[in-house]
Amino acid sequence: MNGGLTKHLNIIDYTLSSLWRRRARNASVLIVFAGVIFLVASFQFVTEALTETALDSLRTAPEITIQRLSAGRQTEVPLDYGEQVASIHGVREVVPRIWGYYFDEVTGANLTVIGVDLERMPLGEKLNLTLAEGEVPEPGASGWVLVGRSIKRIVESKGTAYLSLFRPDLSQASYAITGVFDAVTDVLTNDLIVMDIGDARDLFHISPAAATDLCVYVANLEEVPNIARKIAAALPDARVLTRSQISQTYQVVFGWRSGFASVCLLTALAAFVIFAWDKASGLSPEERREITILKILGWETSDILAVRFWEGALVAGGAFIAGCTGAYIHVAYFDASLFRSVMVGWSVIHPSLRLVPSLQVSTLLLIFCFTVLPYMAATVIPAWRSAIVPTDSALSGM
Amino acid sequence: MSPVSDKVLRRPLHVLVLLLACLAAVHAVLYSHYRHRLAEYEARSDLRQIATAALGLSDLCIATEARYTRHPAASDAVVPFMDHPGAIEHFPTGSFWAPPIPGGIREVGK
Amino acid sequence: MLIELEGVTKIYNQGQINEVVALRDIDLRIKEHTLNCLRGASGCGKSTLLSIIGCVIQPTSGRTAIAGLQPARMPDRFLTVHRRRCIGFIFQNYNILPALTVRENITLPLVPLGLSRRAMAERVERLLQQFSIGHRGNFPAGRISGGELQRVAIARALVNDPPPSSWQTNPRPISTAV
Ligand SMILES: Nc1ncnc2c1ncn2[C@@H]1O[C@H](COP(=O)(O)OP(=O)(O)O)[C@@H](O)[C@H]1O
Ligand SMILES: [Mg+2]
Repeated sequence: MNGGLTKHLNIIDYTLSSLWRRRARNASVLIVFAGVIFLVASFQFVTEALTETALDSLRTAPEITIQRLSAGRQTEVPLDYGEQVASIHGVREVVPRIWGYYFDEVTGANLTVIGVDLERMPLGEKLNLTLAEGEVPEPGASGWVLVGRSIKRIVESKGTAYLSLFRPDLSQASYAITGVFDAVTDVLTNDLIVMDIGDARDLFHISPAAATDLCVYVANLEEVPNIARKIAAALPDARVLTRSQISQTYQVVFGWRSGFASVCLLTALAAFVIFAWDKASGLSPEERREITILKILGWETSDILAVRFWEGALVAGGAFIAGCTGAYIHVAYFDASLFRSVMVGWSVIHPSLRLVPSLQVSTLLLIFCFTVLPYMAATVIPAWRSAIVPTDSALSGM
Repeated sequence: MSPVSDKVLRRPLHVLVLLLACLAAVHAVLYSHYRHRLAEYEARSDLRQIATAALGLSDLCIATEARYTRHPAASDAVVPFMDHPGAIEHFPTGSFWAPPIPGGIREVGK
Repeated sequence: MLIELEGVTKIYNQGQINEVVALRDIDLRIKEHTLNCLRGASGCGKSTLLSIIGCVIQPTSGRTAIAGLQPARMPDRFLTVHRRRCIGFIFQNYNILPALTVRENITLPLVPLGLSRRAMAERVERLLQQFSIGHRGNFPAGRISGGELQRVAIARALVNDPPPSSWQTNPRPISTAV
């Protein structure tokens, strides 16, 4: 066999047996390091999977959404706003919509109520496909609701067949559950109660001449910014959101969110690197002595560095693989359950996210650069510094 | 020539290679399942798009504790501060959400 | 000549307050295939002289030629290679790594030579038998008696002995007790 290769294999063997000799110490470093990488990678995977899902789903969101602000708060939009908008050239359709929040005092859950005229919404006729049970009632019917799986569970836990909600005057409104959304759409529909727009007005006591917001659809997508500007000029008190703005916001939201988490995690990482540096740079007298003896016995500086390199590579590489694999399993099979409390806060309703982490080389490379490389540097550089000292001065003190 | 026992010739490297092979096998299984899930996920993505389109949704349902966390994209920057001008919003997730892009549509195209 | 020293002087910490002149103007010539013994009072510079012969430290002045090589002209890297080819060391305090087994300690000088695992094991086994420490082969070196430790140190100094086939081309290793 080639002498250089055999030599290198011998050196790896030596490294492995010295790793094994100090297995308690190396295992503890590996576990701590793998834990840090696990957290960093889990966060990266979760935020990427969520951003991906959001951007993918929002591709069919309304092109323009109009809300009205009064005293800085969002209030009802009068329906004549819709007529004004519809008269702008290039607007294909304006659909008023009611949506709001209903606080269920028994469970403490914050539910989302949407009242919408499905006939006028794009793809409204296909909504049946997203239902796991039941179906969308005929147009014109009232007193029905389509609910997300969490709502279904809440209703079932109460033991009633009907969904009962209270109007502002505390009179009760009951709805028949005609459909339940599929688990596949949980990440969008889990907390939803979809009903006829008339029923929603009745539930929230909103006047028939108003809506919560208006969904605007345009004929030519190129024209969206122009039309949005025209709407903003015509309706000075309106807030005009375009789909691209919403996606942008989403990217910022998750970027910021994961950025915040990254700051926390990077702090942990920095602490770890300092710890590793401290461990490695303050080479113990034992290690220094070992390096000197090896040099006198004919080991070259590069051989000693190779030992250190492989030591660092095996510990850090092992931690990287273990951490990333753990993070993937955590996110893909356990719905990132460790981050639940941070992600969902006080929410009572938790969707089953069914995340599929996007395994991008860039993500893994990013994690690699922030974890493995500093550790390698922290192990190899001190050994290098102590190995380049000529035996001459290294020997003194032996 | 003195006899050399097999035990001395056993290399730690072989153990490492064996370990790496096991790891590779585990990862191959995980990866194939990942491909499978990804295909499934992409196959069902039209259902999510139908729901978004038919209901006019703008946000994911991840944190439902308040409207600015349930619908961050359609919320106001001021909403979290409405209880008191100086109050940092009191829902745990609130601290993780950035406000929507400021300026609204009047900024578009500038 | 295997070893030639001419006017070798070694001054530790030159120019400092703790300056020590360990060797002054030493001439020494040693032939191949001889066994030599260096005697002297404690602190007279025996270890320093052997370190210079072993190419571990450089003299402050003077000329040296060790197994046909002039260490003064060589970079540290070549000295290392030279050391592992031609020189065996037994240190005063043995400098055995206590955490490694006896067998691993004796193998250490062979690792960077690029020998096959079998070749290394055979050489080590032969020395273990020769010094009657075969039964201690798998003991951590920190757990054996002083006499055994000494034999381990000698075995390690001899392990880089080139095989008989290359005796003609390679000089026999010099064993130094430092
Ligand atoms: N690295 C060193 N730095 C300074 N002085 C040294 C060093 N090594 C040895 N000496 C001094 O050099 C002299 C010779 O030491 P040494 O060669 O070890 O003597 P010995 O003949 O006992 O082996 C002693 O006085 C010792 O104190
Ligand atoms: Mg001495």
